[in-house]
Amino acid sequence: MLSAKNMVKHYGAVQALIEGNLEVSKGEVVALLGANGSGKSTLSKIITGVISPTQGTLTLDNRLISFTSPKAAKKQGIAAVYQELSLIPDMTVAENIFLGHEKSNLGQVASRQMNQEARALLNFFQNCLSERVQPDTVISELAPSEKQIVEILKALSLNPRVLILDEATASLDSQQVDRLFELVKKWKTENMAIIFVSHRMDEIFRLADRAVILRNGKTVGNIKIQDTNENELVKMMIGDVASPHQIKTPMSGRGDARLKVIRLNSKTLKDISFEVQAGELLGLGGLHGQGQGDLLLALFGAQNASGKIHFLGQEVSFKNPHQAMKHGIGYVPGDRGKEGLLMIRSILENLHLPSWGNFGFPISMSRAYADANGVAQKLSLKMASLDAPVSSLSGGNAQKVVIGKWLMGEPKLLLLNDPTKGVDVGSKAEFYGLLEQLQNAGTSIIFYSSDDEELLGLCHRVLVLQDGRISAELSADKLTRAELVAASMGLTTA
Amino acid sequence: MKKILRTNPYLFALLLLLVLVTINFILQPNFFSLRVLSGNLRVWLPLMLLAAGQTIVIIGGGIDLSVGTMVSLINAVLVTLVLPETGPSGMFFALLISLVVGSAAGMLNGFFVSLLRLQPIVTTYATSFVFSGLALLILPRPGGQLPRVLTSLYRSSPLGIPFPIFVIITIILMWLLLKGSGFGQYLYAIGSNADAAYTTGLAVSRLRFSFYTLSGLCSALAAWMLTMSMGSGNPRSGDAMTLDSIVAVVLGGTRLSGGQGGVVGSILGVVILGMIRNIISFASVPTWYQTLFNAIIIVLALAGPGVVRLFRRQA
Repeated sequence: MLSAKNMVKHYGAVQALIEGNLEVSKGEVVALLGANGSGKSTLSKIITGVISPTQGTLTLDNRLISFTSPKAAKKQGIAAVYQELSLIPDMTVAENIFLGHEKSNLGQVASRQMNQEARALLNFFQNCLSERVQPDTVISELAPSEKQIVEILKALSLNPRVLILDEATASLDSQQVDRLFELVKKWKTENMAIIFVSHRMDEIFRLADRAVILRNGKTVGNIKIQDTNENELVKMMIGDVASPHQIKTPMSGRGDARLKVIRLNSKTLKDISFEVQAGELLGLGGLHGQGQGDLLLALFGAQNASGKIHFLGQEVSFKNPHQAMKHGIGYVPGDRGKEGLLMIRSILENLHLPSWGNFGFPISMSRAYADANGVAQKLSLKMASLDAPVSSLSGGNAQKVVIGKWLMGEPKLLLLNDPTKGVDVGSKAEFYGLLEQLQNAGTSIIFYSSDDEELLGLCHRVLVLQDGRISAELSADKLTRAELVAASMGLTTA
Repeated sequence: MKKILRTNPYLFALLLLLVLVTINFILQPNFFSLRVLSGNLRVWLPLMLLAAGQTIVIIGGGIDLSVGTMVSLINAVLVTLVLPETGPSGMFFALLISLVVGSAAGMLNGFFVSLLRLQPIVTTYATSFVFSGLALLILPRPGGQLPRVLTSLYRSSPLGIPFPIFVIITIILMWLLLKGSGFGQYLYAIGSNADAAYTTGLAVSRLRFSFYTLSGLCSALAAWMLTMSMGSGNPRSGDAMTLDSIVAVVLGGTRLSGGQGGVVGSILGVVILGMIRNIISFASVPTWYQTLFNAIIIVLALAGPGVVRLFRRQA
């Protein structure tokens, strides 16, 4: 039904897409896979009219089409659910869902009718949403997973013929994902064509009929899901580089507790106490939004909390991130675009942001470049030059810069807030290697991840949070998938 | 509380207004008499119209620094077209021309800002000199005279209600209709997050263009009111109103970064601004202190909503 052939997109000298091919038929789910920077977001943005291709043909029902804007694509029945949310924070759920195709009566927006229809749409996700999600709730009051669901409903309200789900499951919990998949299966029977972009292999095998694989801007594979397996897909994505699976670093010398947290309480946290050793990688698990992020921010001095924190043997109370930073604590946020990076500034400036003070006055630029080059190599950063803006990097590479900026200062404690969300398999492997290096150098790491496999693979010890409380501490042979899931639901297995 | 503030961003303005009215009433006991009230409204009305247009541009994420000189330009055009002996058809013609000039001026801004994507602050600052220059070209020195009919219409009180009240009610009605339409939704959406609005499929540049055009139209109407109140022309008559319009918008609770606020608040903002000036002149403040006092009160008033927010966050 929809087909994109020989798509090419250049940004100046950079070739984002060299030869992109993608086809999808009625009632089919096609998974679009590729490492970060392979051109899959470029390809999906071409299909939705957000960017226009340098070359290539796009056909819908065998008619040649070309879009100059998302509006034009919408008219043809192509809707997309974006990973980077396209919601207006100050508007209500219903207003957002119907933005651009409002229900109106005599030229006036018919709020009541919109609210009714929005409620009908919200009912698709009944039991997966908290009570506060109502048609007249303001978007900024919602949790990330709830925003993502509104985003899905917004695309759905257009009754699209082609639906693109771009990492739409990344911030959903498992119950919500299950519901979405049931819905996708229903839409398939209604002849909707679906393009599914995801990094979660298991989801691809659960949902997709066919997989299209991009590597370095070229479509390198187009294969039926039942004829393939995970390893083959990963191989196609990353070429001949083998995928190193998770390795647990042996715990380096157990010294005194580097960080000791005693009865931390805040609006969202209840009685949190734990210790972290030097060189330890402590995992935080549990369902989304159970206080993991708030705990990290409280440790970083970015959120108020009462209780005692001992760091390096002395009691500390950070009033702001600057003080925490001075003590050698780094924080890697989950939302890199918003909290982690100055998108329009150069890679160099971003890398040195916390450490400019170490380069004297006036700043020794040659030393700054040399240091930054070292870190860039360590991270195997794919970039044009250190002077290129961060916005020119792909998602995975941008995330490396966020971590890289703390490596400069050789941190004693690194707080990671779901750092691999939306990062591809290849970059993840590199990222795990980086954590290992850090641990060997004696850095303590507290690592929150929404990916259970990651926690199981990397951590020796995982604290599971539920409603702001530590509901379980899992380690050694208790650290299993079953225990982790059970604890996050507030259960304990015998 | 949050909900109340979201739906009534001008709550602070309302409180401030209450305080100012009280003070004003103490200093000027006949403040509530119809004569004084309508006199005040006649002075404030031009700025209200101007602030209405400015509000639309600011909610949409921009700013228009040329509105004052647009008023000057149209004032000059008006007194050139309308002479004391001009009849109704001539006046109607002048009305049409002024609306055309106003929207053309707004379209010029819109063209630069939305299609060429220039920065609104710099662009509208630059175009303000274009309008100012044109005004001086058309009317090199103050002069001209409007027919009696128009000046007395402005001072009239049909059905015992001052003329400005009718205009204010019309502005508010038009605004509510606009706000309630799809256009209103797009206005807030673009001011709040233009990228999201674009990927959602809104015609962002076309809409932005229309915000500036609307502002130009409002300037034309403001120029009419100003000319009717002055009875004559002056190529610099509106210049000082630009900053006043922005101050009024902010006092009325509209966020300068866009995406929030409303015209009703801005109208209250104009009233607040006018009352501050009233109070200063009635409190027998020595003339050479007046500007300073005026400025201090405005700064405090502008800081008000921010301070309230600060307290709320700590609570």
